[in-house]
Amino acid sequence: MNLKKLENFARNIRKNIIFTAFKAGAKSAHIGGALSAADIIAVLYSSIMKIKKQKILDDNRDRFILSKGHACLALYSALVEKKIIKRKDLETFESDGSNLLGHPIINKLSGIEFSTGSLGMGLSLGVGVALAAKKKQKKYKTYVILGDGECNEGSIWESILCASHFKLDNIVIIVDKNNFQQTGKNSSIMDLKDLTSKFKSFGCSTTEINGHNVKKIYQSLMSKTTNKPKVIVANTIKGKGIKLFENDNNWHHSIITKSIYKNIIKEI
Amino acid sequence: MKNKKKYTEIFIESLSIDKKKFSEKLKYNDIPEWDSIGHMTLVATLEEEYKINFETDDVVDFSSFKKGVDILKKYNVNVA
Amino acid sequence: MNIQNNIKLWSSLGMRATFGLIAMELVKKHPNLIITTSDVSTSAGLDRYKNKYPDKYIDVGIAEQNLIGVSAGLSSEGFKVISTTFAPFQTLRCCEQIKVNLGYMKHKICMVGLASGLVLGNLGFTHCSIEDIGILRSIPNISIVVPSDPFELFKTLDQAIEHKNSVYIRLTAGSNSKIINDKDYEFEIGKAVEIKSGEDVSIIGCGNILWNCLEAATVLKEKNIKCSVVNMHTVKPIDKEKVIELAKKHKLIVTVEEHNIIGGLGSAVAEVLAEDKNNCKLVRIGAKDFYSPGGSYDYLKDIYGLSVEKIIQTVFLNL
Repeated sequence: MNLKKLENFARNIRKNIIFTAFKAGAKSAHIGGALSAADIIAVLYSSIMKIKKQKILDDNRDRFILSKGHACLALYSALVEKKIIKRKDLETFESDGSNLLGHPIINKLSGIEFSTGSLGMGLSLGVGVALAAKKKQKKYKTYVILGDGECNEGSIWESILCASHFKLDNIVIIVDKNNFQQTGKNSSIMDLKDLTSKFKSFGCSTTEINGHNVKKIYQSLMSKTTNKPKVIVANTIKGKGIKLFENDNNWHHSIITKSIYKNIIKEI
Repeated sequence: MKNKKKYTEIFIESLSIDKKKFSEKLKYNDIPEWDSIGHMTLVATLEEEYKINFETDDVVDFSSFKKGVDILKKYNVNVA
Repeated sequence: MNIQNNIKLWSSLGMRATFGLIAMELVKKHPNLIITTSDVSTSAGLDRYKNKYPDKYIDVGIAEQNLIGVSAGLSSEGFKVISTTFAPFQTLRCCEQIKVNLGYMKHKICMVGLASGLVLGNLGFTHCSIEDIGILRSIPNISIVVPSDPFELFKTLDQAIEHKNSVYIRLTAGSNSKIINDKDYEFEIGKAVEIKSGEDVSIIGCGNILWNCLEAATVLKEKNIKCSVVNMHTVKPIDKEKVIELAKKHKLIVTVEEHNIIGGLGSAVAEVLAEDKNNCKLVRIGAKDFYSPGGSYDYLKDIYGLSVEKIIQTVFLNL
């Protein structure tokens, strides 16, 4: 693991997120939740996942599912850094007929495995894909990013029970725990209480880390598990990387004006 | 004992079992082939062969080869 | 395989148990088949399949949203998937997952809805299904087939598994279901089958309730009202050509289904007739948008106008 390379990758993801959101203008974008996931996605795409443009449909590739689909700017940005999609494609974000919408649309040639955005569904797909790997005796891993608010959805827990029951040690679930959902703090809307214990009690090999420490993210992704799905509860800050946005839920989904852009781009 | 032979043949055929697996002591669920589907196949074949219609209670009570002999008597079919 | 012997056996078994037997045949033809369920095996006749092919059977427990997601994930990785549970749970509990995974992302799955319609009326309406066709019709990329009898179920599954779209297969009636097709015949998803001819009235039905349509037609013939009876097994895509042809030939079309008259076969036929120039009247028989008290299958059929007598009366009143 090259720490500098990793940190650069994450910085570029944040640059791309801000740039794309700015270009989207009045159409606005989901910003806070993309920034909180940026470091996790950076580590996955730069240093962990077996995925590249030339073998984008290879059956042995690792699969990535952004179940918290509204953080798609982080995914698109990573795909640009990985040269799987072109930088200028980011300018088509949320435009008429575009493949890059406000939530991911399935496009395997562009490295987008599934259409997500309706929360609570991506993990089920991941379980199906991981089960398929076992049946085909393939070694690829399936990485799923969940939001913490997304864990309100019962379907998430259906999938976790299932992953544990079938001893799926080839699925890695990372929870981007930024403590906010659309209308406010998780704790006031639907308190998740001790999320880490919940995953543990559902039979997952669970760790809790600082979701912005790329070294720790890398180490927890590399650790081995047997017979249990792996869950990493990553404590993050919504809007991380831009002081103006950090922990301010107004930036869940908003517009970046020219003046704001000018100020914040210096930070990255 | 033509009647018993026919009755035995029906068992073997509808449950799709080898002659060796058959015995007159055979009971429902004793062998994997005599599961609920095997049972319905057996009942349907007996009904077709002897031109009868079993009552539901009799379908449920038909729990062994031997019991079947008694039940068929009710329908004037002698396979003893 | 002797078709005649099997037709009688399958009918006595009913569609659900027959499904289990069909699965045993399908897996030989399609070795990459996986059947997924939500805690139903015996109810779907799948015990034998489950025991013989445990690696081709996945039970996700009573979790239908996960059932569809897992099925779609497997399908995306190249498996042929058939999912099954009782019709209300197969279609309504996981409706959005069906929309997103099957409709929007076009992952291909065959969904078999067990005991749809009114057959489980003695268990109450949580276990009956008079909404499934209507709701799924609104989701693009999903075909809907309602086999008329277990023999037709065999033909349906055989084609559905190769069909380009996902297919919802709606099973009706219980054990000792009626035989609608007593010999081999041409079956194609999307093509209605005229099983009886007559020039006055056309009775279009789907599912095992077609038996009541045939019985009604026989009685009506004695009263000099000649009815054609059409098995419109595929409600989506509806056989438009057939509907228009029937509207030209008859003065009255009556649709018959174990479903709400809103959204199901009757509505699908109405949509075709409304956009076509014809002088044909349409009357829809089915559940008139209310949940009746529970009871036996026959009791419910009578309340919803689906008994032979009530179908006859409806035809008379609308001639």
